[in-house]
Amino acid sequence: MHGTFRRSHGLQALLLLAAIAAPVVAGPYWVHVGALAWYYALLAASWALLAGYAGQFSFAHVAFAALGGYGSALLTLRLGLPLALSIPLTVILAMVFGALMGALVLRLSGPYLALFTLAIAEIFRLMLVAEENVTRGSLGLEVPGLFPGGSDVPYYYLGLALVVLALLAMNGLLATRVGLFLRAIREDEHAAQASGVNTTLHKIIVFVITAGIAALAGIYYGHFVGILSPNMVILPEMGLVIAMAVIGIESLPGAVAGAVIVYALSEILRDYGEWRFVLLGLALILVQRFAQNGLFPVVERYLDRRVAPHAKSPFEVANVPNVEGDYAKPS
Amino acid sequence: MPNPPEASYFAARTLHKHFGGIIAVEGFSAELRRGEIVGLIGPNGSGKTTTINLVAGALRPDNGSIMLNGRDIVGMPAYAFARAGVGRTFQVPRLFKRMTVIENLIVPALTELRTNHRQAEARAREILAFVRFEHLADAYARTLSGGQQKLLELGRALMLRPCLLLLDEPFAGVHPRLLEQIVEHIRTLSAQGYTIVLVDHNLDAVRSVVGRTLVMARGRKIADGPSEEVLQDPAVIHAYTGTRKAMEGQS
Amino acid sequence: MTYFSLLTVNGLVIGLIYALMAAGLTLVFSVLKVVNFGHGSLYMMGGYASYYAIGLLGVPPIAGVIVAMVALFLFGVVFERLVLAPMYSDKVERKDEYAIIVTFGLTILLTNLGLVVFGPFSKSPPAFLQGTLIAGPLILPYDRLIAAVIAVVILSGLSWFLARTSLGQALDAVSQSRDSAAVIGINPKRMYTIAFGLGSALAGGAGALIAPIFALSPNMGELPGVQAFIIIVLGGMGSVGGSIIGGILLGIVQGLGVGFLPDPNRALAYTQAFGALLLVIVLLLRPTGLFGRAHMRLE
Repeated sequence: MHGTFRRSHGLQALLLLAAIAAPVVAGPYWVHVGALAWYYALLAASWALLAGYAGQFSFAHVAFAALGGYGSALLTLRLGLPLALSIPLTVILAMVFGALMGALVLRLSGPYLALFTLAIAEIFRLMLVAEENVTRGSLGLEVPGLFPGGSDVPYYYLGLALVVLALLAMNGLLATRVGLFLRAIREDEHAAQASGVNTTLHKIIVFVITAGIAALAGIYYGHFVGILSPNMVILPEMGLVIAMAVIGIESLPGAVAGAVIVYALSEILRDYGEWRFVLLGLALILVQRFAQNGLFPVVERYLDRRVAPHAKSPFEVANVPNVEGDYAKPS
Repeated sequence: MPNPPEASYFAARTLHKHFGGIIAVEGFSAELRRGEIVGLIGPNGSGKTTTINLVAGALRPDNGSIMLNGRDIVGMPAYAFARAGVGRTFQVPRLFKRMTVIENLIVPALTELRTNHRQAEARAREILAFVRFEHLADAYARTLSGGQQKLLELGRALMLRPCLLLLDEPFAGVHPRLLEQIVEHIRTLSAQGYTIVLVDHNLDAVRSVVGRTLVMARGRKIADGPSEEVLQDPAVIHAYTGTRKAMEGQS
Repeated sequence: MTYFSLLTVNGLVIGLIYALMAAGLTLVFSVLKVVNFGHGSLYMMGGYASYYAIGLLGVPPIAGVIVAMVALFLFGVVFERLVLAPMYSDKVERKDEYAIIVTFGLTILLTNLGLVVFGPFSKSPPAFLQGTLIAGPLILPYDRLIAAVIAVVILSGLSWFLARTSLGQALDAVSQSRDSAAVIGINPKRMYTIAFGLGSALAGGAGALIAPIFALSPNMGELPGVQAFIIIVLGGMGSVGGSIIGGILLGIVQGLGVGFLPDPNRALAYTQAFGALLLVIVLLLRPTGLFGRAHMRLE
């Protein structure tokens, strides 16, 4: 396990440097693409924590992003609160709703949880559309920018900083016993409970944290793009986030890389129109079909050339009998 | 092997559980002294596993109480049962497959907030020594054989120093040589004062370890006493009618 | 009063088509234990299959429905064999996740393929029958009437098939317990394939029926797909009969809802939200749906 970390830490540091240097060499178009990619990276990484580590396959993640974006914008525009106040308040609000969501879905599993969260997201989206007086509905809500001047570069670096902070925070959490519990919950929730893990509490913790990150992403998006619309919450958007995370579902940096790659590819292939999404759908199916744990663990293992010990060569110690044929089929 | 906590005293009182129209467990009562090791047997569908699940807190009884160290723990969430001292294994081992053996072991220890990582790992190594798995510490749990998985699960249950250890079919499908090891481990634990309830169909293995046997049939407890007497009880034989093993036990 | 009865009748027609789609989704769920997140896109493909069969092959409009169902049955079988089959072995670790992701991938794949191949502009296949039925206070375009009748025929056929034929019984057996079914000689894997094929065919048929009424577009499966999820949770994820009733009810309620809310924008949004709200409430109260049996994993 530790060898894997070291090698991929090196790789991650390299990628970070590349990301920091990119705007210097790339043109304004790519800086814009990069800044948008950070929005998706935040969502994908936090969703990877929620679904990959805590096993909560939530379709409401983009709804929390929209909650963040709209919430902060409305507090500022309608109530006249300063950004320094509306942003933290909105994030806290999102975390409260995250806790609520976590509590509501406790008894749901698998597809029921997916459907439930999908329904919640739909309701939220429809509310955004319906309540035109407040949100300007499908016309979109305009949000003032954060930085003077027309350049995307400060946004790019802001987004990058948010991604790095989010990764540090989430990895920090995973390095603690909470991370171990989350992995245990993901592996087998009943067994985790039988081992004394308060699964309820931990699932809610993850909902709270990821809701906060999603809301932050939404706030960032609003200020960068300048306009918020209910289309942030449509199913294809959620699908995009899921696709990005799936490509590296074991690791959070993997999800970030997945987001960047998928988004960048979708821009590079823009001329091909919808074919890029056909490719995305196909990629999703193929990746699951042939590499369920995501591509990045495969890459990491290859880089590290350290394979998990297999039962093939068991135990030099004579105490434990040979394992093959040990587990007879119970009658 | 560190010893279990003192004053382990357990009682189940009139446990009752139904699913829809089916009564799975009816009026189940039992008392265990500290250090007792009892077998819980019965034909399929007799309610043994449901009873184990009730005692482990995985299911909530409709009626009845579960006293552990003088405290009624019914109604607490499952994880709280584990923290209160009920350790269990599952019929089919439920390990954290993509985590290593040692990670599987330290999870329960870390649920105690005062325990730090180092202490948890130290205790895990003790357990590893007990089940003789030291060389497997960094192996992923899913690479273990069936019998090894059962041993690991046993080790994991021991990490929380349980007052009561519930073993659900520890012998099922295990290679005979490994089975002897498991029997030996159980005897050692019993000698150290662990209170153990053992559910299994392998009556020979059960008999070799337990002094007292409870028999269930159709949701009710139909016998409770020294193994030899119980296995000759006509009611028990009747419940098992057709099963060769029970007939063998008779002679 | 006439206004509302008109709304009800129209709602009933739409509801029957919803029911058809939901029945397919329920069938797949009850036998394979998989929620097919790609169901909406299969519905859309059915609509287009019918359209092209009529346009390119000169098939009469009503036969287009049959073509759609056959085409989608075949597609479903292929998809199940190629993509879903690995789920049944232990090679796939997190089966729920796998199923959600691949069926979701299917929807992304098909919807965008549709956008590329068919183009984003809506197409209208020819009507089943031109004209409108006027019987007293009732005004109903023949298209809708025929769609409703065909839907009823298909649904009745499905119910008969499931209850009376040995294949249908076999499907039901597998939906209750894969292992028990295997013991009595039923091959569960074949049943999975058949169930998925049938479910896809039903979705395709629904799409072909709705095409003359509401026109085709590659995104047309999104909303009905969501509605289908709502219906099966309401009607019971294991119960085909329940999803039929659920579909009809939802169609009627949505049809009426438009009449009750004065503001059209809010009306549209909130009638759609109503279904989602129902789903949320039902799942909160009964985590496995109204009539559903407990969610059994693929063993």
